[in-house]
Amino acid sequence: MTSDREHIVKWVASEVMPHEAGVRAWLRRARVPADEIDDLMQEAYAKLVGLQRVDQIESPDGYFFQVVRNLLTDKLRRAKVVRIEAATEIDALSVCSDEPSPEQATAARRELSRVQALIQALPERCRRVFELRKVLGVPQREIARRLGISESAVENEAVKGMRLIMRALQEEGAEVRGDRVRKTNDRSRKG
Amino acid sequence: MTDREKAEDIEAEAARWVWRLDRDGRAPELEAQLEAWLAGDARRRGAFLKAESVWSLLDRARGTAPSSFAGRARPVSRRVLLAGAGGAIAAAMVGAGVLLLREERFNTGVGEVRRVPLEDGSAVAINTASAVEVAFQRGQRTVRLREGEAWFQVARDVQRPFVVEAGAVRVRAVGTAFSVRRRANGADVLVTEGVVEVWAEGATRAPARLRAGQGAFIDASAVVRPAVAAPEAVDRKLEWRYGKIDLAGETLSEAVADFNRYNDRKLVIADPRIADERLYGVFNTGGPDAFAAAVGASLGVEVEARGGEIVLGRRRAS
Repeated sequence: MTSDREHIVKWVASEVMPHEAGVRAWLRRARVPADEIDDLMQEAYAKLVGLQRVDQIESPDGYFFQVVRNLLTDKLRRAKVVRIEAATEIDALSVCSDEPSPEQATAARRELSRVQALIQALPERCRRVFELRKVLGVPQREIARRLGISESAVENEAVKGMRLIMRALQEEGAEVRGDRVRKTNDRSRKG
Repeated sequence: MTDREKAEDIEAEAARWVWRLDRDGRAPELEAQLEAWLAGDARRRGAFLKAESVWSLLDRARGTAPSSFAGRARPVSRRVLLAGAGGAIAAAMVGAGVLLLREERFNTGVGEVRRVPLEDGSAVAINTASAVEVAFQRGQRTVRLREGEAWFQVARDVQRPFVVEAGAVRVRAVGTAFSVRRRANGADVLVTEGVVEVWAEGATRAPARLRAGQGAFIDASAVVRPAVAAPEAVDRKLEWRYGKIDLAGETLSEAVADFNRYNDRKLVIADPRIADERLYGVFNTGGPDAFAAAVGASLGVEVEARGGEIVLGRRRAS
């Protein structure tokens, strides 16, 4: 069970997370309020937890979009007030979500160099904690000793750092996916 | 939606869980607590999966998992990654308040790799058994490589070029990253980012340029001999910064020479017939035994620890 979990975690890190920024950008354009976007994203990731196998998913970004789209559609249906913009965007999306993505292959690669940049961009103490733990593999207790702060202070730094990194990941690179959605819209209008 | 837990609070709690599991491992009672927390709200499982994913993503910052850099992606991403890691570590050292700036000479023992941040924002990674002197002047940043090898990530400063002196050989950069290894009659230069100029003091030959992904040996009369065929080879040769030796077709004798730079217990090839066997794999610089065992198994030769040496012996009769 653990190894399956690990497999999904790695898959999410390399195949799904790089596209979160794009999904969020799309949701913003669809005028979904910010706090609802946060909820939706967590719900969407929760859907991925239940996946038995992920290798057969050929276009993870399209799949993820689909999951978010379904969640949003449910929400809108329950709210009974369908926002026009949102509905239009959802239609446009159904065209593009099945396509294999050209940037899919490069996304994971970009992610990698980005991780470095992200760690470097952290506030001093946060960054030190991550460098010690993740780059040098120092145990948590030892980190507290080396930095001369309590273990709970180290924990708080780590939590802060992880959230800053998540924040940065989900906001960065949004324009990549945005371009694609817009292009798709153009095409669907032509067709 | 009254009193609904905020997504950001869930996110923080999920990150905390990941950190605690990293500390305590997956003990049953902790698992049970985690499961209880996860069951409290549908969003929590999603937040936790994402936090775990971010955590696993950060593992790649270590840069010691070559298998994940397979194929075409490798040269570019790796170069960026390694360069970034060097800078980050240097910066982290500053953050910890390690004041090394006054010190002008840095030595490393056998098997030691030391990272030093410089006052101008540049960073140096000094390889095993090396000596580096830092002498910054107003118009030029001079670093003398007295012995061994070092990799430099140079902070951009057009007013003050960064010059590494290795014997008669000179390597000049403005804002770039490269390594220099001192040899008996010259120096090896490997460029990881940007462009450097190389020449030799007292030689009449004009400076030559090396760009990212190139490596060369420069002798005391400034003759430049290209030494590396591909950018990925440059990256491989700089794996020492992470305590690794990355072999991709090097001969056994080359590999042994490399290992012996890092260890007091020397590897010795007893049978000259195996010296030219080509090897592949990633090893720890400080693990000659593991390397010897791998060689023994793959070439079918005896391995014997004898006093302070590890002897790679005769081919077994098969």
